[in-house]
Amino acid sequence: MKPLTWGIGLLVLAALAIMPFFVTSYIVSFTIQTFMWVALAGSWNLISGFTGYVSFGHVAFFGTGAYTGALLISKAGWPWLPAGLAGSVTAAALALLIGYPCLRLKGPYFAIAMLGLNEVVRALISYFEDFTGGGSGISLPPILSIEPVYYAMGLSAVSVTLLTYVIITSQFGLRLLSIREDEIAAEAMGINTARLKLYAFLLSAVFPGIVGGFYAWYASHIEPLGTFPLLTTITMIIMCLFGGKGTVWGPVLGAVLLSVFQELVWARFLFVHQALFGALIVAVVLLLPKGILGVLQERYRLPRAI
Amino acid sequence: MPIQITGAMMLQGVVSGLLAGGLYAMVALGLSLIFGVMRVINIAHGALLMLGAYTTYWLFALYGMNPFLSLLISFPLLFGVGVLLQRWFVHRVVNAPELSSLLLTFGISIFIPNLAMLAWTADYRSVEFLTGSFLLGPIAFSKPRLVTFLFALGIAGLAFLFLLKTKLGKAIRATSQHREVAQVCGINVRRIDLIAFGLGAGLAGAGGSLVSVMFSVFPEMGQIYVFKSFLVIVLGGAGNYPGAFFGGLLLGLVEGLASLLLTAQLSEVIAYILLVLVLLVRPTGLLRGRA
Repeated sequence: MKPLTWGIGLLVLAALAIMPFFVTSYIVSFTIQTFMWVALAGSWNLISGFTGYVSFGHVAFFGTGAYTGALLISKAGWPWLPAGLAGSVTAAALALLIGYPCLRLKGPYFAIAMLGLNEVVRALISYFEDFTGGGSGISLPPILSIEPVYYAMGLSAVSVTLLTYVIITSQFGLRLLSIREDEIAAEAMGINTARLKLYAFLLSAVFPGIVGGFYAWYASHIEPLGTFPLLTTITMIIMCLFGGKGTVWGPVLGAVLLSVFQELVWARFLFVHQALFGALIVAVVLLLPKGILGVLQERYRLPRAI
Repeated sequence: MPIQITGAMMLQGVVSGLLAGGLYAMVALGLSLIFGVMRVINIAHGALLMLGAYTTYWLFALYGMNPFLSLLISFPLLFGVGVLLQRWFVHRVVNAPELSSLLLTFGISIFIPNLAMLAWTADYRSVEFLTGSFLLGPIAFSKPRLVTFLFALGIAGLAFLFLLKTKLGKAIRATSQHREVAQVCGINVRRIDLIAFGLGAGLAGAGGSLVSVMFSVFPEMGQIYVFKSFLVIVLGGAGNYPGAFFGGLLLGLVEGLASLLLTAQLSEVIAYILLVLVLLVRPTGLLRGRA
């Protein structure tokens, strides 16, 4: 990146860092949600945008992290920050357990397996009622100030974006892209595709676990139905797709634009907003499958690592 | 759970499971047709099933039409809906990576139920047409389930006859075996896509009509059938139409027995493990065979 880009980036970060002191708490909580979506969309991008393996159950990692965080806070009495970070461990463990067998599945079968994974994790959490509170979920003490969560979520979003940049400019990233373009050819050229896919999958599960843990603390209450909706996975995907999958800034752009759009427009159409979201998905897939950055990249020869 | 399971209970589980399985088989056959021909996973299948169920409900509630007679309306109606969906949307993503078709059909799958909710509210409605059950020895046969099972079997049988005997059916099977070669042989695959999606949607709609006799009708009712249908397709082997049928019966059977021994939630987990195992060990399905 050029010095100018770095400069602008640092300026934006500085502005975001001091923002909570100047704006209403409504804006702060809106930004927390946007940070969360940036981290989630960026994480989905790491596996699906780079390798082409469609993780259709990525919310499972978010939910696992949320339950890990909530259980550590409520049962073990951990402070929220380490509890949230611990969400990454369980999410990565789940990714390892599932990724090892399932990443051998090709195309639609991987997507189906991931879709099922989400249902299964939810079913298990509902089943072990004594431990997880079953359908009624876990309640945590209400949080007193949201600023710490703001910084924690913000750092997660920044970390995911930085990680994406590091990967896309590395040999590891190039190898992942080669899997997306032609897995058999990549294998034939000596790339250990099974291992690299697993690494990418693990990395893509870490941050959803962390922001899930933070989210549990922030929301003060989690329950299975609201923590594992397929809609959350789809929202990550559509944000990433809208901005441009396989890019650094695509998920950020998509997450910010769609969050703002959601806040400004959909809140006014409460009854039709789900139907509108369905229509938006169809529109993005049919009209803008490469995303905003993808189109710009093609038209203006932008660098690959944008 | 130390519950004594008697032989009669087992038999009852088998019977109830198979009766449910007939419906799964028919609905999954529709999904399998779409998947086999186009490699598109139609997540909107449940939404189409819901539309079929509402068709039957309204015909019954407004005109008192026999729900089984309304199959003659719901099937062609949903066939039409399927053809339109294919023509307007799905045909654009047939050759795209699977992400496009997954997202597209997901978008449709939340659009249609939400419109249904706006139009007809989220109330649970029921078609009270056939109720009760009769005993045959120690086993209870629920009347609506038995009749829907027979209808599902009949409709699936007709679909198989169509696929096996008619020229169009052979063209569909040829396209799902090898798209390019089918095209070389002079088959208009675009047209086959339209018909396959129409048939798939029609089967989902007919499934909805049958479901409405047994369970409540509401906008989100179709969701649970989507994953079940995937499971059935995987069990039977993708693009293997008889496989989809037996997969449906097998899933019903497994569910019927699992619900005896475990809770419903755990039987979902068992079903998932089954899915992953079959995908890994026998990706061609349990029935190895030709499409």
